[in-house]
Amino acid sequence: MIAMFDLVMQILKSNQIEIPLIQPVVDSLIEIPVLNALVALILWRPFFAVVVMPGLLVLMIYLLYIIWFERKLTARIQWRVGPLEIARPLRGAIQALADGLRYFFQEAIVHKEAHRPYFIQLPILAFIPVLLPIAFIPAGNVVGIKTPYAIQLIVAFISLIPITIVAIGWASNSRFAFVGSVREALMYVAYEIPFIIAVISMIFLYGSGDPYVVIEKQWIPGAFLNPLAFLVFLIAMLMATSRLPFEIPEADQEIAFGPFVEYSGILFGLVMVLAYEKLYVMALLFTILFLGGWSGPQIALLGDLNAPIWLVIKTLVAISIIAIVRSMYARYRIDQALRMGFSWFLALSVLALVIGAFIGMVI
Amino acid sequence: MKVEFKANKAEMLRSHIEVIREAFKQAVAPDRVTVEYPRERKKYPPNFRGIILFDPEKCISCFRCAQICPANAIQMTFYEKAWPGIDYTKCIFCHFCVESCPTGALKSTKIHDVAFATMEEMKLRAVQLMKPPEVFREDKVTVEYLIDDKGWKLVRKPEIDELVVEAVLPAGRRKISVCVDPESCLGCRICVELCPSDAIAVDRKANKLKIDAKKCSGCGICVRNCPMRVLELREVS
Repeated sequence: MIAMFDLVMQILKSNQIEIPLIQPVVDSLIEIPVLNALVALILWRPFFAVVVMPGLLVLMIYLLYIIWFERKLTARIQWRVGPLEIARPLRGAIQALADGLRYFFQEAIVHKEAHRPYFIQLPILAFIPVLLPIAFIPAGNVVGIKTPYAIQLIVAFISLIPITIVAIGWASNSRFAFVGSVREALMYVAYEIPFIIAVISMIFLYGSGDPYVVIEKQWIPGAFLNPLAFLVFLIAMLMATSRLPFEIPEADQEIAFGPFVEYSGILFGLVMVLAYEKLYVMALLFTILFLGGWSGPQIALLGDLNAPIWLVIKTLVAISIIAIVRSMYARYRIDQALRMGFSWFLALSVLALVIGAFIGMVI
Repeated sequence: MKVEFKANKAEMLRSHIEVIREAFKQAVAPDRVTVEYPRERKKYPPNFRGIILFDPEKCISCFRCAQICPANAIQMTFYEKAWPGIDYTKCIFCHFCVESCPTGALKSTKIHDVAFATMEEMKLRAVQLMKPPEVFREDKVTVEYLIDDKGWKLVRKPEIDELVVEAVLPAGRRKISVCVDPESCLGCRICVELCPSDAIAVDRKANKLKIDAKKCSGCGICVRNCPMRVLELREVS
């Protein structure tokens, strides 16, 4: 038993993240019998990447931040005030936390017509394709699973997400949910092809699907190397996360949150954040492909933490700017969005592919 | 139905840029006009039609307020004299009573946020109207709308607005009662007895009414009660 513990500790200690700033604290904590295993586990690179940064912990903080920020920003542009009364000195900053707590203690009603096992399982199952890409997203030395096909894998997992949403709509067995899932399926075909072509064009451009190579080759941000792919990815990101110009599957005013209409309580809390989590994963990919990933000024004191911090900051800034689109445009009809997706949007992505292949040959 | 939307490409692009520019402008410095009411209070004009206050010293019991009230919310009750009481279940806050009061015994305040527990409590008697109702003030900031040619904006000042202000008497000419047709006067002396300010006397020798212009408050009780309708309110210069 003790030998096994020592072996585990040895494995953990062989791949520790190095942060000079907190090194004295870590050194003192590592002497304490039980805490040392915990500290060694948290600072183990794969664990740190997946659970702390840019993984689940940052994802949680991001969720709390973006829901509040988006509501507040939309409110400001529409001459309203937005969430305010919870934590007034912070202008309602923990509104999302309060909502989450309320969802947690609220009764989750499963209506009679629902396919009960699927109805309850699917919100939880939907997290698998949403959260798995995080294991493959590297941030400098901090990486969960290191593979040269990381970008392809991330895209593959992102493409799986709409299937769970369609399944959620089917399991709800209500007419709004049905309309919502059909819309989701149609939108899925509309954006997925240009989106994948845009990513392929960037892979052509960099000559590899390995994020390390991608970052290395970006002497200027990828957005300037292939602006068309940048534009296509941006619009596909809005479509994929059903943000406002393409908020067709959820369409609050018409079909009352679409596939998720029957959910309540914590199950609603889970499905509500799905689109935000998808946005986070896609924005991480966006940052790596187009904004130079984790490259940025190095601070010696932070050591290995530099790369994740830069990656997360760039991602959050990108998302915050994207959030403004919500309050600028009205919603497209489904036929307009589909016509767009299959006409100029697809053409634009093919053009981006040609440019990407051409520039890829030059550099 | 297919709606044809024809627009110039350049114009569309320009309007897109306009939208984006406006959105970022509003995100940084919104033009919103929301007043966070319990914590801030809008600055109301001094003649705001709020809760009505009553000053018994000035009241001459002329009943004008009760006569003019369109909602029939004012009832006169006898204390030392007849004093008005306001039924806030009926009051529509038109403030005709305040404007018609010849002596300024009724005055308006800026208090508009008063709650009553029951319907019975809303029927205020004259003694309850004498002091302003208790208002729990949470506001630290007074907000003022400034309107000029360019548009309008909110100005927040860290001061507390005084809700009870000096009464502004209606700027009209002073009216007094005048006997226009002394020939028809019956000499019944109803006016003499009714006059709240003892301004009317009967000159026995000339058999005529003598109205003291200084004492007359222009309340019009005599005019209303004259059986021969020989009295009239006239403006004095």
